[in-house]
Amino acid sequence: MEANIWMTELRAILRGAAGSFLFGVPLLYTLEIWSIGSSTEAPLLLIVLGTTFIIVLLLTQIEGFRRTLQLRPLEAVLESIEALGIGMICALLALVLLRRITLVTPMTEALGKLVFESVPFSLGVTLARSTLTRPNRNRRRVSLPQRFTSPTLISLRDTLIDIDATLIGAILIAFSIAPTEEIQLIASALPPLWLLLIVAASLLLSYSIVFASGFTDRSERQQRGLLLSPLSETLVTYLVVLLASMLMLIFFQQLNFQEPWQEWLGDTLVLGLPASVGGAAGRLLI
Amino acid sequence: MSEGAKFSEPAVKDEAIDDLGVQSPRSLAEWLTLAITTAVLVTVIGLVIYDWQVSRDRPPAFQITTESVRFTDSRYYVPFTIQNTGGQIVRAVQVRARLHLAEADDEAGEQQIDFLSASERKQGSFVFDHDPHTGELTIRVASFALP
Repeated sequence: MEANIWMTELRAILRGAAGSFLFGVPLLYTLEIWSIGSSTEAPLLLIVLGTTFIIVLLLTQIEGFRRTLQLRPLEAVLESIEALGIGMICALLALVLLRRITLVTPMTEALGKLVFESVPFSLGVTLARSTLTRPNRNRRRVSLPQRFTSPTLISLRDTLIDIDATLIGAILIAFSIAPTEEIQLIASALPPLWLLLIVAASLLLSYSIVFASGFTDRSERQQRGLLLSPLSETLVTYLVVLLASMLMLIFFQQLNFQEPWQEWLGDTLVLGLPASVGGAAGRLLI
Repeated sequence: MSEGAKFSEPAVKDEAIDDLGVQSPRSLAEWLTLAITTAVLVTVIGLVIYDWQVSRDRPPAFQITTESVRFTDSRYYVPFTIQNTGGQIVRAVQVRARLHLAEADDEAGEQQIDFLSASERKQGSFVFDHDPHTGELTIRVASFALP
């Protein structure tokens, strides 16, 4: 029972973190938010924080990252504080990961960026359950002819559904980010080995969203498709996401064959981060 | 689905049933989450207020330092670092360099820095045809705007 309490809470926090990244990542890749945050005076930052808290509190009346369906008023306030805090921690991690906040960033600038990015991240925490819970009804399925119903073919079909869902999710989130200059701006400011951290974060986020946060019934998830183990599914779908990211960058002429391979690699991995969050959400929802 | 139906039917297929349903008293784990998140929020709000108190009375001022001159492809590069030592954010900072030479025409360079927040440093370089050591080099901030 004791272990159960901690696992349940960890899953709730991971659910909140998953929602916050899904909601917050598009604004994370927005240059204007960085500069607005950098140039905002302290009193306005406090007003932004206060307003965010009120919006989160209102949303907590009907939504939340925990599964409780009935809340006392005080409990809603406490859960809103938690949502704001989780959103802020996720925003800080994301800003550090993309080197928008480093050890040499002046405090005023770092605080401004953090407070402004916390807004979408905190809203994402509160909306986690409603955005990432899979709808049960009205799902379209193409019925297969009789001869395609052997276990292997069903398993192949489910794997294709997973890859399809990953692609849809990745494109939905990353398509609007791919043509922007932020990708090159972020990628060019990363130290050489930092890309490995981006890869690790993408894989961790993807795994957490699909398997660790308890959005879906785990037994069902683990049995679906050829990609049997959660780890291999995470790895294979990440490759799919990277391929999709690269194709999106080529589509928007952000990459061409005159550019050095380092730029191809950097840009693709940087766009791969939001794309893998989208891809994981896609696999949950489709 | 009405509220009543929601509670009477907690075991929705996709949701784990362990933690779904009517609220039970806060567990130790939930109190810990609350404690950590509250600490994070209090720290951030405290830092915002502290930073505000510390920096509001310091008008913008600048410090420019130059590093050693680099010679590449028959040009002289003078790297410099500018720091806003004041407590306010400034934009459109115009940095001007002039190399006064005794035996040739003066050389000049100009740079504009979009944003420089309190205590922030930015780096750049001026490029000259003549060796800066043979003349008198001055680098200064000519103007800036407030946001």
